[in-house]
Amino acid sequence: MSGQPTLSDMLARIQRLPALPAVALELLDTLSGSDPDVTTLARRIAQDQAIAARVLRVANSPFYGLQSRVGSIHDAVVVLGFSTVRSLVLAAAVVTGLPGDHCAGFDPHRFWRHVMGTAVAAQSLAQRLHRPPESLFVAGLLHDIGRLAMVSIYPEQFARALVIARERDCSLREVELEIFGFDHTAVGAALTLRWHLPEEIIDALAYHHQPELGAPGGLAPIIHYADAISTALDFEEAEDTLMPRLHPATIDALGLGWQSLTEVLADTRTRFESYRLLLG
Amino acid sequence: MSETRTLPLAQALPGMLLAAPVLDAGGNVLLPAALTLTENHIESLHRRGIATLAISTPAEPVDIARKREELRARVMHIFRHTVDDPGSQALLHAVLAFRQEQLK
Repeated sequence: MSGQPTLSDMLARIQRLPALPAVALELLDTLSGSDPDVTTLARRIAQDQAIAARVLRVANSPFYGLQSRVGSIHDAVVVLGFSTVRSLVLAAAVVTGLPGDHCAGFDPHRFWRHVMGTAVAAQSLAQRLHRPPESLFVAGLLHDIGRLAMVSIYPEQFARALVIARERDCSLREVELEIFGFDHTAVGAALTLRWHLPEEIIDALAYHHQPELGAPGGLAPIIHYADAISTALDFEEAEDTLMPRLHPATIDALGLGWQSLTEVLADTRTRFESYRLLLG
Repeated sequence: MSETRTLPLAQALPGMLLAAPVLDAGGNVLLPAALTLTENHIESLHRRGIATLAISTPAEPVDIARKREELRARVMHIFRHTVDDPGSQALLHAVLAFRQEQLK
């Protein structure tokens, strides 16, 4: 490639990305409100053994505190509910389907740890702020998916961005904008638009670094804070981890007091210990 | 918080906590980990010819202080560009308190 890639170039090449498993796309489709055939979907999920095994690992983790062991996806749906199992399957499908391991300096394991931390922090915030937990989990799970697409499609340029961000000790997003002319939030929003995700999730991906620009009453402010909570709890364990800048009015508007914030930190940590089992 | 140290059996005392199982020469477990030693246990281990034990001991206060400082330094490193930002204050202080609490 010569010169700076454009977002259109990027989107034209997105087809090169490994496709998500068909069952994950079907599940994403059901997020938009289409009526799911739970029995058929459970059977389809069970056929993908790599995904099913990871999901059962989490379903049987201490977080859910089940009396007896869940041995099948069907049982997991009965015990935990379709919505919880759908979140787990989507997470397992995204992690296994989009590994992102061909870019110098990019550590997929650390990437997924941060992402999983954000997803569970978003779930925890949802509980306290009475917002939709599943949409927020999925938005957290996908909030940096644009970065993974950039890594896969432009590995050399992204490797350069990583080096520059490290040398300058600045945010990677700043360097993405400088090198590519667009950042991972734009790519993530465009990618998930193609996957026909609900608008509220696309909006959260697009504006998680600029929550003041997101749709009023949308999910971007919560993903903005969940991203920071995951960073603060150091799930990524990277030497150059850097707290993103938080938008003060957005954080104030969430109205999370000291006690609630402390509970969110503890709850996020507990959830993470179970959900990290999805990472293999 | 606790740490593990290896102790000659002669120095073992009732009330000490085993950090690891005690095995005989054949690899069989004589006493499991996390067991609080009694006089009977110690006598039995003497008879079996066990020379050393892995004992779990509470961390010294000085170690806790060092770990607290390391943890604080790590959190401040993560917040190195945002330590004075109004938007970060609540999270910075809450995460410092929460992670310090976890050390206990």
